[in-house]
Amino acid sequence: MTHINRKHTAALFILMIGIAMMFTACSQTGGGSNSGASGADSEGNAAPAAGGEAGKVLKVRFYDDPSGFDPASVFRIENENIAFNVFSGLTTYDSESGQIIPDLAESWETEDNKTWTFHLRQGVQWQKGYGEFTSADVLYSYERILDSATASPYAAEFNNVESFEAPDDYTVVIRLKDPDSNFLHVVANFHQGQIVKKEAVEELGDQFKWSPVGTGPYMFDSMKVNSEIVLVRHEEYFRGPAPIEKIIFSIIKDDDTAAIALQNGEVDLVMRINRQEALVRLQDAGFEMNALYDRAVNVKMFNTSIKPLDDIRVRQAWAHAVDWTGISEATNPLLESEAFNLLPKWMDVYTENVPRYEYNPERAKELLKEAGFENGFTITQHLNASNGVTDSDQLEQEFLKAVGIDLQFELVDAAVYNQIRNKGEFEVAGRQLPAVNPDMILFSYLHPDNIAPKGLNGARYNNPELTVKLEAARAEIDPDKRRELYAEVQHIAMSELPYIPLYSANGYWPGYDYVMNVTLNPLSQVNFYEVDINK
Amino acid sequence: MADYLLKKAAQLIPTILGVVTLVFFAIRLIPGDSTSYMAGDNLSGEAVDALRERMGLDVPVWQQYLDYLLGILKFDFGTTMVSGLPIGQLIMEALPVTFMIAFLTVLIACLIAVTLGTIAAFSAHKGKKLIDQVLTWIAMLVDLMPSFWMALLMMLVFTLSLGWLPASGPIDFSDPVGLLQRIALPLIVLSLGQIATIARITRTSVLEVLNEDYIRTARAFGTPQLLVVFRHALKNAAMPIITVAGLGFGNLLNGTVITEFIFSIPGIGTLLIGGINSRDYSLVQSVILVYSFLFILVNMMTDLIYKYFDPRVKF
Repeated sequence: MTHINRKHTAALFILMIGIAMMFTACSQTGGGSNSGASGADSEGNAAPAAGGEAGKVLKVRFYDDPSGFDPASVFRIENENIAFNVFSGLTTYDSESGQIIPDLAESWETEDNKTWTFHLRQGVQWQKGYGEFTSADVLYSYERILDSATASPYAAEFNNVESFEAPDDYTVVIRLKDPDSNFLHVVANFHQGQIVKKEAVEELGDQFKWSPVGTGPYMFDSMKVNSEIVLVRHEEYFRGPAPIEKIIFSIIKDDDTAAIALQNGEVDLVMRINRQEALVRLQDAGFEMNALYDRAVNVKMFNTSIKPLDDIRVRQAWAHAVDWTGISEATNPLLESEAFNLLPKWMDVYTENVPRYEYNPERAKELLKEAGFENGFTITQHLNASNGVTDSDQLEQEFLKAVGIDLQFELVDAAVYNQIRNKGEFEVAGRQLPAVNPDMILFSYLHPDNIAPKGLNGARYNNPELTVKLEAARAEIDPDKRRELYAEVQHIAMSELPYIPLYSANGYWPGYDYVMNVTLNPLSQVNFYEVDINK
Repeated sequence: MADYLLKKAAQLIPTILGVVTLVFFAIRLIPGDSTSYMAGDNLSGEAVDALRERMGLDVPVWQQYLDYLLGILKFDFGTTMVSGLPIGQLIMEALPVTFMIAFLTVLIACLIAVTLGTIAAFSAHKGKKLIDQVLTWIAMLVDLMPSFWMALLMMLVFTLSLGWLPASGPIDFSDPVGLLQRIALPLIVLSLGQIATIARITRTSVLEVLNEDYIRTARAFGTPQLLVVFRHALKNAAMPIITVAGLGFGNLLNGTVITEFIFSIPGIGTLLIGGINSRDYSLVQSVILVYSFLFILVNMMTDLIYKYFDPRVKF
């Protein structure tokens, strides 16, 4: 019997393997259509790269399934990082300082912050043989974003634009309805500002997001769904070819696995690790941490339209009641820097001159008493279930209990959490503020036009005095005066506290020391054009 | 037999229609849709509404349902809502990976567990309590260890300390050696979970059979002990073992989510969880459809294997 049994098992095993192989064969023939036009391309390109030893290859951990790289619809930082390297904007961000620098536009001028004239670089080549870049591409890209058929979530970024014009092949003139001193951010290498090629978009249709064509330093080569993404360098990039020939992004979702994969040499560089223990382990093992401190501010949002949160004193009491810095140091010292303002420190209009709320439970109790809540109150905060009730949340709850505030938590999953926050249907919730430009943060979160559900002002904050200053700052041409106006806005916001800054997030891309010049820019993205391997 | 298969095949259609309908409405009952997932931290309500329109989520539900059913009839699953990738292809790429891992897991688990379980039963029958107890306790201990913890432990030992096996990398069917190394850790973790269950069932049912009269008769005839245990006892005790192994296989096809996540294996579980998190209705519906079809298929195959082990089974 044992004998017969074994024979059967073997036969069954071979049969099963056979079926599995059949599945694979099917899926591989299907694979070509997936990566679209680049599919055929990729096989042709991959062979010489694999054969020749000369080319430098960088292996990078990617932390989630990609969701596409079309600038009109790209979302989440990891996807945006790929788009950042494939596309270019008229302007882009300096990796070190975060300031706006030229990209496809060599220079620009404006006299009133309303009419912007951009002078384009000449001789810029599109990837994959799509010819030379001209002003027509710029107009096409912007009009595509505005076209309702594209349904780009970023169309609203161009709300202030009256007209786009191209007087010649290398000049673009943009007229705005109202002056905007921050307009250079709108045309930067990010989302709506990224320039696409008409012919490529039309040829690829829906699949353009999986086969993007841009003018950036790296070209999209191929992708194995939910497994890896391959970029190769764009040999005709206008700043000259990048040092690394090929970048392989390997999808590893778990942070601990990613740390082990790095230590075992399976990847050279890890895109973002957000787990304190894994970071400590890698730091102790001597890896380069490639950190970006104070990347984006995380805030607590109060719904200021309900009692008792409509009272400024209650919000101030909350800020005084909790030892925010102490919580960060106790729970996530590597991942959190202290924050006293809505803007991160690297922004040019950031000011230190705002009220600070040191840990002072006695003062908190006084404020509550003044507001008529001597006996405290009960309030509910929504939390994202994927993070759960964290140590920080529990500590905060304890601190609040000491002054009489009973904080309850309600866990909801990510989609519901986003929905609640967008509709403004919460008492207390959290948010990470975007770190693109100061105007985007202040306007979106403090201006009454953006009160939820229409915009991101989830606190429903509306202070006419602040609104006037905010609009004046937008129109101001003189940089010093503008900085002053923004400083006043920050001061008012931090005095009235529709949002409490909790901490500012730090970002890490741990890697081997032979991976040089990994710099996270303020958008938390790495410009791979600067990265080199020196083994 | 042919009757049985026909009858089962006829049952397949209403069952799957039921599952499809249930899933279609159940996932829509969960608050939030793909747009709220995509909105993330920094998309306004207005932009979300525009997105909803583009994704066809503003269409009445009954119409979405009809469109979906028509799609199935044409074997067209459409594309995912969030990433726009063809769903049929995603499933065809994920399925062989999960299938292979599930199959090898059950195979390895059965080989080890049946041996251990039989030894335990034999020892118990012989009055050697110690071996039996030790084996039973080990099985319990392994069963109680959470898989994510086992996975990390295995990685620390086999990847970090010994450097034998990788923790990540592509699943490449054209490179069998690399493939085996790549899936070795998940296989170990998953089979440990199965071994515990199957070993306990084996022990119980073999022990029961060992007390039967015909075993005593066989022994009285002087048949060698090992032959008695493995030929006569095991074959007669096989039914519950096959049931458990079959169910285990069915569950493994879908239930390896955590292991797949930790080891970055692009299988069905990963696909399904990604779909649920992003509220990708079309993706979730299609994966569940394929999965329920497979589950029914596995059950049918288990029934057929029964017949082989026990000719008395009538369909």
